[in-house]
Amino acid sequence: MALEPVFGPQAVNLTEFEAKALLMKNGIQAPRGIIVTAIPDKIELRFPLALKVSDASILHKSDVGGVRAGIVGIYDLLEEFSIMQKRFPGSQFLLEEMAPKGVEFIVGATRDQVFGPVLMLGSGGIYTELYHDVAFRKLPIEKADAVDMIREIKSGIFCRGFRSQTIDCGSVVDLLMKASAMVLSEKLGIESMDLNPVIVSSNGAVVADAKISVNRRK
Amino acid sequence: MKQFNKLLSPNAVAVIGASPDRSKIGNAVLENLVSQGFEGKIYPVNPSYEEILGLKCYAEIESVPGKVDLAVIALPAKLAPTVLEQCVRKEVAFVIIVAGGFSELGDEGRKLELSLKEKIRGSRTRLIGPNTVGVLFPHSKVNTALTPGDRIWFPHEGQIGFISQSGALGLLVMDSITENGTGISGFVNIGNRADIDEEDLMEMFLGHAETRSIVAYLESISDGGRFFSTVKRVNMEKPIVVLKTGRTSEASAAASFHTGALASNDRVLEGILRQVGVVRAYNEVELLDFGKALAYARPLEGKRIAVLTTAGGLGVLTTDLLTTEDARPALSMAKFNDTELAELKKHALPIASLNNPIDLTADGSTQSYASILDLLSNSDNVDGIIAYALPQTPKIDSSVIEPIMSASGKKTTIVGVIGNRLTKDLMLQLEKAGIPAYPTVQRTVAAMKALYLRSTYIRRLLYGS
Repeated sequence: MALEPVFGPQAVNLTEFEAKALLMKNGIQAPRGIIVTAIPDKIELRFPLALKVSDASILHKSDVGGVRAGIVGIYDLLEEFSIMQKRFPGSQFLLEEMAPKGVEFIVGATRDQVFGPVLMLGSGGIYTELYHDVAFRKLPIEKADAVDMIREIKSGIFCRGFRSQTIDCGSVVDLLMKASAMVLSEKLGIESMDLNPVIVSSNGAVVADAKISVNRRK
Repeated sequence: MKQFNKLLSPNAVAVIGASPDRSKIGNAVLENLVSQGFEGKIYPVNPSYEEILGLKCYAEIESVPGKVDLAVIALPAKLAPTVLEQCVRKEVAFVIIVAGGFSELGDEGRKLELSLKEKIRGSRTRLIGPNTVGVLFPHSKVNTALTPGDRIWFPHEGQIGFISQSGALGLLVMDSITENGTGISGFVNIGNRADIDEEDLMEMFLGHAETRSIVAYLESISDGGRFFSTVKRVNMEKPIVVLKTGRTSEASAAASFHTGALASNDRVLEGILRQVGVVRAYNEVELLDFGKALAYARPLEGKRIAVLTTAGGLGVLTTDLLTTEDARPALSMAKFNDTELAELKKHALPIASLNNPIDLTADGSTQSYASILDLLSNSDNVDGIIAYALPQTPKIDSSVIEPIMSASGKKTTIVGVIGNRLTKDLMLQLEKAGIPAYPTVQRTVAAMKALYLRSTYIRRLLYGS
C-alpha cells in the first residue's frame, strides 16, 4: 500500500513570503524580506540579499532559475533584477536578507494515511536527497521526542560539537515544537510543509526556504 | 483482561465442521484440540456424524448442551455468516472462522466479510479471523491450529505472547522455536481481523499473567491512532517487539513536497516505534529472539557489557559486533578496576586473558568460570553479561548452568551456546531455567542490544530525554 500525502481538495500552496510570514507569526525565525515588483529607492534590508521569484504556482523556484543568492550591493541587485524580470515577466519577487551560515536541516510535515500528521527532521541540503537521513514522529510530539529526532539523524552530531562547530540545538527543539503546534492547528489548516533548508548556527535556527500548503476550507 | 478469559482458558470448545476425514481442516482442528490434552468439553458439530474421534457429535451448534466459550468454524466461506449467526444466538463468547475467501479476495469477499461484522454487531460474541490458522494457548491446552499435529511441533507453555497477521509464518516460526525448547504463552493469527485485531490482543496479553513479553508480526496497520496509543500504553508494562513487513514500499513519488516524498511506510513506522518505545525486529528470528530476551532477562540498566568465554575467537567477534553500531546502537565493553582485576587473576589460569572479553581459554574449568561469573555479577562496573557456555572442552560441562543461573539473578545475562553435538541439551536446560540463550554470536549480541534499546526507550518515556 503506497502512502500518499492526503491533500485536501482545496489545498493551495502559499508563496514563500506568505509561508515565512506565517512561520514568523508563530515564533519561528526567517530572514527579513519584502515583496517587490520594482527595486525601491530605499532598501531597508541588509546586504547580502537573495532575490526569488514569488509565485505560488512555482514550487521549485531554483529549478527554473528563479533564485539568485549572495547579491552584495545595489548594482548587483539592479542587474539581477532585470534578468529575473525578463525571465518571469509580470511576476512579483521576494527580496530578502541572507540567512547566516550554519548547518542545514530540513523540517517537514505531511499527512500519513495510517498515522495522520507526522513531523520530519532531516539532515538538510544534498544530504536529504543523497542519504535520506531523516526521522519521523507522529504529532503531537513532546520535547523528548524532538531531542530524540535530533539524536537520530547524522547532523545531530553538531549539537554535541563536531570539529569545533557547535550549534544551538535548543533552537531546533524549539522549532520542532512550534512546527508541531502549527501543523496541529485546525485554524491554520496546514496540509504539508517543507522548511528546507533550516540553517542552524550558534545563534539559533532560521528558515531559509519554506513551502507550505494549506487547506483553505478550514 | 477479564473479557478475554473465555478465549485464554475456555471451559467448552466446539468445532463446527468437525470431520473424521484426515484431509479436512475440521479434522485437524479437532485432532489438535484432543491431542493437546484440552481438559474442558469438546463438541464436534456436523450433522453427518454421530461421533468423531470418540466424541459425541452434534448436528448444529444450537443443539450442543451447555455453554460454549469458543467455537471454531471450519467450513467454507459461504456458510460462515449463517453459522456465525447461530453462534451468536447460542451466545458463544469467541468464534474463530478459519476459511479464507473474504476481504483478501476482492469485492465479493469484502461483502461477505461485512456480513460477518453485521452478524456480531450488538452481540457479546467476538470474532477471530476470518482467514486464520487459529489459536494456541499451551497453558490451557487450547490448540485450534489447522495444521495436522504430525506435521509440525507446537511450542509448550512459555512466556511469549505471539500475535501474527500471517498464519503460515506464525505456524512455521512456532515449529522453529521448538528446536531449542522455547515456549509461548499464546498464539493468535488475526487473519483478516474483521473484529479482534492486534490491539485487542495486546490488551489481552497485557492482562494475561503467564505472558511476559508480546511479539507481533504485522503486514499492515489499520488504525494508526489506535495502534499508537495501545502500543504505547501496553509496552510500558509488558515489552512489545514488532516485525512489520512492506519495508521497501515507496512513498508517493508524485509528492511535490520533499517531506511527502520521503515519508515512506517504513520511515514513518520507524519513527513511531521509537516514539512509543518499541523494539523493532527485522526478521522472524529476531522477533522471537527479542521476545525471549525481554521476557526472561532482567532489564539492562546501562551499556557496559562483560563478555566471558572459553573460546578467544568468540570473545573478539562478540566485542566487534557489540561495539559497532548496526541496526541498533553500539554498546561498550565493561572496564574493571584494579581490585577486580586482581580478584579475576586469582580465579583464572595464568594464560587466561582477563581484559574484557575474558577468555579462560580451552583449559578453563567450570569452577573458574563460576567464580569469575560471580565476580562479574557483583561488579558495579558491569551492566550486563554475555556468557558463552561451551561444553566442548574437557573442563567445562553442563554444570555451568548453575553459576549462569545465579549470575542472571543478579545481572542481565545472555548466554551464547555455539555448536551442535553437546549443545542441544544445554540449550534446552537454559530454556527451562528461563535464561535467554542463543546458538550464534550475532543473535546473542543482538538480543543484548534489544534489551539496551528497551531500557533507553522506557527511561526516556518515564523521565524524558
